[in-house]
Amino acid sequence: MLIPVLGVIFGVLIGYLFGFVFDYDIPYPYIKYTAIGILAALDAIMGGIRAQLSQKFVFSKFISSFFTNVALAALLAYIGDLVGVDIHMGAVVAFSIRLFQNLSLIREELFDRFWWWHIGGKEKEM
Amino acid sequence: MRLKNSSWQWGIGLVAMFLSCLLVFQLKTEHKVRAKLPTRQINELAKTLQNYEIRIAKYENEIATLRSQMKDYDRDREIVRLKMAAGLAPLRGKGVRITLNDSEKKLKEYEDPVFYIVHYDQLELLVNELRAAGAEAIAVNGHRLAATSGFSCAGTTILIDTKRLAPPYIIDAIGDSNNLKNALMMKGGFVQEQLLSFSLQFNIELVDDIYIPPYKGSIAFEYAKPTELIEGEGN
Repeated sequence: MLIPVLGVIFGVLIGYLFGFVFDYDIPYPYIKYTAIGILAALDAIMGGIRAQLSQKFVFSKFISSFFTNVALAALLAYIGDLVGVDIHMGAVVAFSIRLFQNLSLIREELFDRFWWWHIGGKEKEM
Repeated sequence: MRLKNSSWQWGIGLVAMFLSCLLVFQLKTEHKVRAKLPTRQINELAKTLQNYEIRIAKYENEIATLRSQMKDYDRDREIVRLKMAAGLAPLRGKGVRITLNDSEKKLKEYEDPVFYIVHYDQLELLVNELRAAGAEAIAVNGHRLAATSGFSCAGTTILIDTKRLAPPYIIDAIGDSNNLKNALMMKGGFVQEQLLSFSLQFNIELVDDIYIPPYKGSIAFEYAKPTELIEGEGN
């Protein structure tokens, strides 16, 4: 668990360095790309945790899926910008749905694993 | 088991780094761009802003033009000048004081008393003489003559605008007192021919410092409207 925490700390440091020390602002039209990036990263983290919990985690798959997701979402946002329609909302919705799905799967897995938290024993809870 | 599976930690750590980096970035930007700005309306707002900016630029141009026109225009001085011309400012200066009264002559049987009292047209013509001689401000019995003032006859009294006057008529006029007096007392002039010949009481004195009150009546323009100057129409 140490490495993800270190990652968070490093990320905050890098963001702080770029944002505050070099005083760089994201230009306003590109804020939706950042939002998509944030959502994709959250989704990837959730997905990664879930995969790890069910012993299916593969590093190369994880990283490639993250980058392809980001690429597709960015492409959608770009097309949306070209056409003038908020197509990137599709990516946002998809990411959000996956996020909650993964969250519920993680929760179930954790309930199964640490069953003593579970008053009724080992039954599955929806 | 733990060693073998540490790759997930690396992967998630990497993505977490990316995530937190973006989050800090976004937070900082959003903080600057006022977090309350609704993203949906941003395009409309931008358009409105652009319109307003165009209008502001136009108005600023106008302001600059007007300001350059106004540069050597002194508003207070202009107002004082106009008030003086309209008769709305109390004035003070050297001038003459004329006292005009009905005749005290004992009339004979055949003489008509009508000829021996001051008539409104005599008063008006006297004022006209003063104006023609260069009087700058005139008041009759303390009533300032404004640009719209008129004389009329009301029975045995004289009306100036709506003010009723009774003899003796004291006419104050600001101007070059010597000039005024000479112009009035000219041989064969109005005073000699039209006032003294009816033996009306006429007295003129030079005053060094005379006070003329402002016009106190109403000024209403019901029909006249200001308009553009038309070149060549009577000017």
